[in-house]
Amino acid sequence: MVDESTYTRKFRKELMAGLSSLVLLAVLARAGREMYGYEIAKEVKAEGEGGLIFKQGAIYPVLRSLNALGLLESRVEASAFGPPRRYYSITDEGRRALAEWQFAWRDMREFVDDALKAGTGATYESRPSA
Amino acid sequence: MNPDRQPETVKAYLEALRRALKGAPAGLIADALADAEEHLDNEMRQNENRTEPEVLASVIETYGTPEEIAEEYRSMEASITSPFPKSEQPEERRFGFFNVLSDPRTYGALLYMLLSIVTGTFYFTWTVTGLSLSVGFFILIIGIPFALLFIGSVRVLSLIEGRIVEGLLGVRMPRRLPPATAAEETIGTKIKDALIDVRTWSSMLYLLLMLPLGVVYFTIAVTGIAVPLGIAGGAIYGLVTNDVSHVFRMDSATDYELSWFNHFVHTAPGLIVLALGGLIVFFIVLHVVRGIGWIHGRIAEALLVRL
Repeated sequence: MVDESTYTRKFRKELMAGLSSLVLLAVLARAGREMYGYEIAKEVKAEGEGGLIFKQGAIYPVLRSLNALGLLESRVEASAFGPPRRYYSITDEGRRALAEWQFAWRDMREFVDDALKAGTGATYESRPSA
Repeated sequence: MNPDRQPETVKAYLEALRRALKGAPAGLIADALADAEEHLDNEMRQNENRTEPEVLASVIETYGTPEEIAEEYRSMEASITSPFPKSEQPEERRFGFFNVLSDPRTYGALLYMLLSIVTGTFYFTWTVTGLSLSVGFFILIIGIPFALLFIGSVRVLSLIEGRIVEGLLGVRMPRRLPPATAAEETIGTKIKDALIDVRTWSSMLYLLLMLPLGVVYFTIAVTGIAVPLGIAGGAIYGLVTNDVSHVFRMDSATDYELSWFNHFVHTAPGLIVLALGGLIVFFIVLHVVRGIGWIHGRIAEALLVRL
């Protein structure tokens, strides 16, 4: 795993802040059933080339905030051994948000890709040819 | 971060998380601990053939260290503050005449108005007793510590009232006590600081004001709900049972001109009008209740929140 600089970690974190909500909504919408935190954590394959893209622990506060916003519903079920499990499922409002966010994400991705392509093109131009 | 010092048991992990979240709202800490406990417990069960320290070492790698997790929860808490997340719905739905019935603010305000007679009486008694004893004791040796103690209690009461106001009226209020005066200050400067702090006086004013306000709120809430519902209920009862003996009449001689009214309310159309009128007044009262809740929130914000 490559050791990243602090500002790169900060950049990743800021990117993830909004996107993790999108990913979690997508996972729950695809599953179409209730899932508990650990299941969701295992479902989100967060392995990138540089190691973990984000920590599994970070999904729990996001689940809670989506729940508080009404995009997810949750219920707690006592388990015979171990602590109670909190099950989450997506609400209709959550599905609507997911549809809108997917659109926003595609827009955003195109915008960023275009900007990056233009950027690399410019650097190639300015680079003196060997 | 020193990996050698990472917790090796679930218990130690939760303890470290609790420490990392120190000072955060109790509800937030409870949420974070419940989530971590659930996750760690699942990890332990998935890896039953490995020892607890081994599992924990790998879990910290994937789940995050207690410090990282604490930071995640803090930033989440900062992004959601409103106790009424549903209020983003369109304005016209929130302010429609009958939608007052489904607005949580209405019931928060109603509960607050009913509660205010109890809290108001207590605040008033406490403040008047504390103030007069502080002034009376001032020539004695216990005068200064007593006054300090009283000012401290006013701050605690203001905090509690702030929590009630935030919970029921939806106004963001301080969630923690204002920072204590620096320890190295002498008692004299502490008193002086408290005396020149406008908040000390505005908080006391608020606590005193809560008695008359509480009486008014309680009266409005009780009569405002009981009278229109009583009229509507009585009229409907009269319609259903055909027994109108309980429907009021204006019998006094001076109201003789109103005999048409007495007659009217003892007929079926009259009863229907009474029932509808009662229900409309009931909805108007609910609007008034929600309005009072809003106004009181502003009062509390102005007098209790340190600028």
